[in-house]
Amino acid sequence: MSVLVVLILLPLVAAALMLLLDSQATPVRARWSALLATLATVGVSLAVASQYTELPTITASQRVKPITPRMELRHEWLTLAPSTPHGVPTKFEFYLGVDGISVAMILLTTILCVSAVLVSWTAVTERAAEFYAALLILEAGLLGVFCSFDLLLFYVFFEFTLIPLFFLVGIWGGPLRKYAAGKFFIYTLGGSLITLLGLVSLSLMVHQETGLATPFSIPDLAQALMSHRLSPTVQYTLFLMIAAGFMVKVPLFPFHTWLPLAHVEAPTAGSVLLAGVLLKLGSYGFLRLLLPMLPDACRNIGTPLIATLSVFGIIYGSLCALSQNDIKKLVAYSSVAHLGFCMLGLFALNVEGITGGVLQMINHGLSTGALFCLVGMFYERYHTRQLSELGGLATQLPRLGVLMVFTVFASIGLPGLNGFVGEVLALAGMFKVDMLYSALGALGVVLGAWYLLGVLQKAFFGPVQLPHAHDGHAEDVPDLNAREILTLAPLLALCLYLGLFPQRLIELIRPDVEGVVHVYKATSVHDSKVAEGETQP
Amino acid sequence: MSDLVISDAVQQLNRAIGLIVPDVIVLATVCLMFFSAPFLVSEKGEAPAGLRHRWGWLSLLSLMVAGYVWWGTSPEPVTTGPFRLDELAWFIRGVSLTFGAVLVLLTWNQADDARSAETQACLLSIIAGVNLVAAANDLVGLFVALELISIPTYLFLLLPRRDAPAQEATMKYFMLSIFSSGMLLFGMSYLYGAVGSTNLEAIYAALNAGRGQPMPILLVVAVMMMVAGLAFRLTAVPFHFYAPDVFQGAPNSAAAMLSFIPKIAGFVALYRVLAVPVVVVGQEWSLAQFSSPLLWWLAVLSMFVGNLLALLQTDIRRMLAFSSVSHAGYMLVGFVVGTATTGGPTGFEALLFYLVVYGAMTLGAFAVLGVLQRPDRRIESIDDLAGLSRNRPAVALLLTLFLFSLTGLPPTAGFLGKLNLFLAAWGTGTESGQWLAIWLAVNATIGAWYYLRVIGTMYLQPAPAVATAADNNATPSYLAMALCAIATLALFAVPGWLWALIQRV
Repeated sequence: MSVLVVLILLPLVAAALMLLLDSQATPVRARWSALLATLATVGVSLAVASQYTELPTITASQRVKPITPRMELRHEWLTLAPSTPHGVPTKFEFYLGVDGISVAMILLTTILCVSAVLVSWTAVTERAAEFYAALLILEAGLLGVFCSFDLLLFYVFFEFTLIPLFFLVGIWGGPLRKYAAGKFFIYTLGGSLITLLGLVSLSLMVHQETGLATPFSIPDLAQALMSHRLSPTVQYTLFLMIAAGFMVKVPLFPFHTWLPLAHVEAPTAGSVLLAGVLLKLGSYGFLRLLLPMLPDACRNIGTPLIATLSVFGIIYGSLCALSQNDIKKLVAYSSVAHLGFCMLGLFALNVEGITGGVLQMINHGLSTGALFCLVGMFYERYHTRQLSELGGLATQLPRLGVLMVFTVFASIGLPGLNGFVGEVLALAGMFKVDMLYSALGALGVVLGAWYLLGVLQKAFFGPVQLPHAHDGHAEDVPDLNAREILTLAPLLALCLYLGLFPQRLIELIRPDVEGVVHVYKATSVHDSKVAEGETQP
Repeated sequence: MSDLVISDAVQQLNRAIGLIVPDVIVLATVCLMFFSAPFLVSEKGEAPAGLRHRWGWLSLLSLMVAGYVWWGTSPEPVTTGPFRLDELAWFIRGVSLTFGAVLVLLTWNQADDARSAETQACLLSIIAGVNLVAAANDLVGLFVALELISIPTYLFLLLPRRDAPAQEATMKYFMLSIFSSGMLLFGMSYLYGAVGSTNLEAIYAALNAGRGQPMPILLVVAVMMMVAGLAFRLTAVPFHFYAPDVFQGAPNSAAAMLSFIPKIAGFVALYRVLAVPVVVVGQEWSLAQFSSPLLWWLAVLSMFVGNLLALLQTDIRRMLAFSSVSHAGYMLVGFVVGTATTGGPTGFEALLFYLVVYGAMTLGAFAVLGVLQRPDRRIESIDDLAGLSRNRPAVALLLTLFLFSLTGLPPTAGFLGKLNLFLAAWGTGTESGQWLAIWLAVNATIGAWYYLRVIGTMYLQPAPAVATAADNNATPSYLAMALCAIATLALFAVPGWLWALIQRV
């Protein structure tokens, strides 16, 4: 059995076992089982990564497809009617594989899941077995998205992640949990159904026009679209349809309203995974499907539209964050801004920009994941997240303070920490395309520093102001224990590592980024040839 | 000379009966049950305890024998005889026998020992009726087969529970059913008037021959009336009015049956009378082409009315009734699209796939209600399910599975079903077809809301103080629920075999 199948099934089977054998488990037993399962999944994901890196690299000249999955596993799922002029049946497949980008995302997912289990250690006591099972099911869904190279399978996993997250927010969330879960669910479902409409019409169209037998295979589809370009108007329509679901998921500026609500109401582990990985499903969708497949649309309407919305998102998100009193909501709005950088990078459509965008996906996952963990930790201690009620925490909880400062710097993008590389590359990539977006985006970096340092200043330094702890006096609140430090340590270590040695990650994803960029080089050469042909008599 | 004629007639009769052996087996069991049951019940109406189990086993046995015989038969070329066994008839027979067995399980403990025989017998004759609708090769045969479904349904609605709501439900169903049968018969008579034959093959031939001339006005009336009459069975808007009241008042197994079985019969009958098999796209006129705008509106209205009204319901069966209306709309999408696809599956393939999937998920949802039902306490409002995830986690999980499947979310068969309809509608490349696909997507989102609300009630609301314990009488319902759950998941993971069967139709 392929290691990828093991990767997806391991958390799923663990969750099923927890639900079936031990649904009344005590929190202690449930969390240990979950920890074991997530650690084992990390092990499998490391095996995937090491297998992947040991594969011979594909040089640019050998590369024939914009997307080249490795360690492929194809298994027939459903073959539809051969009712086309070409007489070839349409096929859905269970098509698993990985490329550099998905390996990076898989590692991020499995590592964040361990932190998500650890951060819920004492916070979740009610229906613990179900909670951890939902967490593991969510992990399986997320890993599935990153391993799928069949359009339909991708969509299946993409949609599937809604279900466990709905329960995570709805059962273990804050006071408004039911409303938040419902809004999140319907909003993203509506968006992704439009996406499905777009994806289906894209592959049907390619199937009809080229007779491609596997129009649902992402690499084949991308390759077919490279040699057979759809007309620009068709591309524009398809782009807008497919982008709809991803724009909600990222979320881009006018479609972000579900996010602060869902984030604030979700339990800490839910927020960590929501910010850390789920939002990336949107940008991953853009990168995996739209950029390589609809180049004209991405260049002509994608860049202006998405870049404008991203810049709006960066500034609007930052300003919203600036005016928040609830720290969790502040971090949620900061996600809107950070994902804006990521989208700016991706839609620069050059190597620097896309690399920056992918790095930003990873970096945001690590630093915002850590931020949500920290917010959860002091919320457990003080039962408030209001900035106005907190002050001078660093003197009370020095360890929490140190880690908070470190995480905030990582999130701001201080040179030497991970955020810096991604933001610089994304902005540099965009700078080549359009200075204005880049300049406005850079403004967001400043705003980001402002609101995050504001949190440090008000809550962690400044005069000591402590709310009453729920049991006993505020002064007795303990500092971070070993378990909590272990929750954060891997994330923060990776922040530092990626800040100092980003080259390792960049090398990992470079072939795939180049594959996507190659589409644009090829099409621009094609365009210029057409233009020359027209001018010459 | 006359000997020859007689022996010829006997031969023809033998051949005709040969085409419907499985149905004859089921109907023979029905006769046996109706005849012998009164002798086992005392004059006071008391029966030996546990008698219903015997009737249940007998029904299952009969369906299994019929299924075995069915599996041995294979489709035969269509002649002008009274019956036909084409691929569609063969397929539908398999579907109805399989889901018939699930319904027998659901009905098992629904009626008390004294009335169990008649209840199960009614169910069996309904199933035989569905098979005969598919096998009928004659307008008269088709009508009689449809009545073989309707008339036992009246009894089936009333027998298990004879309280006031059930009586009201039966009455409503009876009146509207008679009315719809009348309309259908009216339409059929005009069709006969226009072509001069009641045999389907003869009708198709006559219609094909008349294609060059303008469409007779008789046929216009015929199509309208037949569509109206059959739309009642599909619970398509605006012929859905009985559904919520009947579902609410009827016993659980009857509501389950009504949500699914009439839809099979309705779609097959519609397929037969609209001469769909001989439709030639883009060629002058055909009944299918003429009725297609009509059905387009029925589909869109059913989807919207069903889903929007389901949002307002607080009674779970009423909600499922409106959900059944909306699913009729989804399936009509497949019917309207028909064979007019240029890529992906045809509308009929998608429709047949959806029918099977819908059967598994809707019967599954009703089976869950059957499992939860106690003699003293019937699940009525959605709030009765509050906290189910705490009291009965496994049952709640399965109901969640069925509801997600009805929503059309992966990893359930409902997702593939909707996707195929979607592919078929979008693949037409015509504006009307693509609008259908868009309305389908919009409605899937609206639908998500009310299914989600039920799931929310089960998982997010605290349990009531009184915990409901498991009911020992519910074993057959448990089995039905498990079978439907397996089907719902299996048809997602390995749909290939079903699809291969459908493609032969």
